[in-house]
Amino acid sequence: MQSEYAIETTGLAKVYRSRWTRREVRAVDGISLRVPRGTIFGLLGPNGAGKTTFVKLLLSAVHPTEGNALIFGRNANDPEARRPIGYLPENHRFPTYFTGAGMLDFYAALSGLDSPSRKKLIPEMLELVGLKDWGNVRLGKYSKGMLQRIGLAQALIHSPSMLILDEPTDGVDPVGRRHMREILSRFEEKGVTIFINSHLLVEVELFCREVAILDKGKVALSGNLHDLRAGKGYRLTIASQTPETLLDQLRAKATSAAARDGMVDLQFATREQVNEAVDLLRSQRCDIEALVPTTSTLEEVFVRTVEK
Amino acid sequence: MTDALMATGALIRDTFREALARKIFWGLFGLSLVMILFFLFILKIDIVEGGVATVSLFGGTSNRTQDVDRIVRGVYGGIATFLYTWGMFLSVFASSGLIASVLEPGRIELLVSKPVSRTHILLGRYAGNVLVVSCNVIFLVLGIWTILGLKTGIWSGTFLISIATTIFIFAVLLGVVVLTGVLFESTALSTMVTVALMIMSPILAQTGLMMRLLSSEWSRGIWRTLYYSLPKVYDMGKMTLDAIQSRTFSGFMPIWTSALFGAVMLSAALAVFSRRDF
Repeated sequence: MQSEYAIETTGLAKVYRSRWTRREVRAVDGISLRVPRGTIFGLLGPNGAGKTTFVKLLLSAVHPTEGNALIFGRNANDPEARRPIGYLPENHRFPTYFTGAGMLDFYAALSGLDSPSRKKLIPEMLELVGLKDWGNVRLGKYSKGMLQRIGLAQALIHSPSMLILDEPTDGVDPVGRRHMREILSRFEEKGVTIFINSHLLVEVELFCREVAILDKGKVALSGNLHDLRAGKGYRLTIASQTPETLLDQLRAKATSAAARDGMVDLQFATREQVNEAVDLLRSQRCDIEALVPTTSTLEEVFVRTVEK
Repeated sequence: MTDALMATGALIRDTFREALARKIFWGLFGLSLVMILFFLFILKIDIVEGGVATVSLFGGTSNRTQDVDRIVRGVYGGIATFLYTWGMFLSVFASSGLIASVLEPGRIELLVSKPVSRTHILLGRYAGNVLVVSCNVIFLVLGIWTILGLKTGIWSGTFLISIATTIFIFAVLLGVVVLTGVLFESTALSTMVTVALMIMSPILAQTGLMMRLLSSEWSRGIWRTLYYSLPKVYDMGKMTLDAIQSRTFSGFMPIWTSALFGAVMLSAALAVFSRRDF
């Protein structure tokens, strides 16, 4: 079944009810979200926002109370909808009796890979995630970072069209994270949709093209990462020899000012304010070193969104 | 091979792998081996003209002349009784962990995220459990049957019936283990409920006596309902014993009522498992 969206949810909700008091908790509250094919999508949100429940709804590990979810146009309840998905869960507990190769063999067989394909792909996957010499070692001997990498290998082994990764770099050292990003970039180039649920904003900022921020079970903000970060203001850089009275006037209009290397950086919130500052400087024939629009960090966008 | 068969094979192999890693398989295998070795080295039977001249056990010797066939059938009966009591208890105890472990958070999410239905996952695990126990039952029964056959020259095929009946009643009880497992995710509770059913079985089997002792019709009705609806571990064991001893047994009711009970338990487990959130 063809669909232009890898994920399409309509009014998706999950309500947990206490068995005795009948108290309701709306973990996911009517989420309608579309993730186009081939995108790298980041799902963000504070703890308890409903991110993991939303992911589990996509995988049918949790049944929706209302609404529905489509995976490449197929209802998420249908086991076949999960065939093109590679999933790395958060807080996974891979059975420690498996060796790395044995674990890949098991999950690849469940994903529908036949025995000759598994025999061919297992060494390739172990090499891809940097565990070539660890294939015959039991998972009980693996470090947290190695378990994440073998987990990523099991998600990739059947060449999925979409990867759903729940906190993929959790416990991975900076070098390992970079390695994981490189691996994922290769799959992105092949057109694989990558859906990342992470609380590491820097990771999402480095890697994702689109994001959605969940708060209290609802989508608080979503869109292209570049667009969401844009529009914070303008940075005007002038020489520090600028007359002090003029500098004082500019500081009064600016949201912040900082001196560095014989320069002064002035931050303005709006275009009008920066235009007034430029007019003032030019009227007194002072030089402008630079004027650039500035963007918010994802963290700033995130904090603004969840604190609203 | 179709995807469904491949997934079933993977689930069964996984159950074996876990049983081996948890030493469950080796524990049952070791116990079976000890019993086989017991009959191989400790029991010595000298036969003269079709009768036992001497029976030697732990160094003590008896010169009573007995019919070889009766001795062999007695041993077979003892083994079958062992299988139906301690063997079954150990198998249930060993298997209950294999069901609960698959439901552990962090493991089940990944399993249900694969393109395999939940029914398939649970049935694959169930089949794996039955096969783990079947391997040991077959090993034990065939081992003892071969040794006694070689020692006595009597190859009584009826003893082999205990392979089928033991595996059957285990499969029925495993339905209870699976249902309590998916409901409560507790190994201890699964074992307790199943063992309780095993213990109740010989008590409930005294239906004839209880019908005379119970004074009211409703209490007799409750007793009958419990007897007919719960698995008949005791009756099945008695049937096997009767078959081994070439005695007649009264009907196949214990088989089909136990099978029905097992099917209901397993269906309920599948229904609960399919609806659960993980």
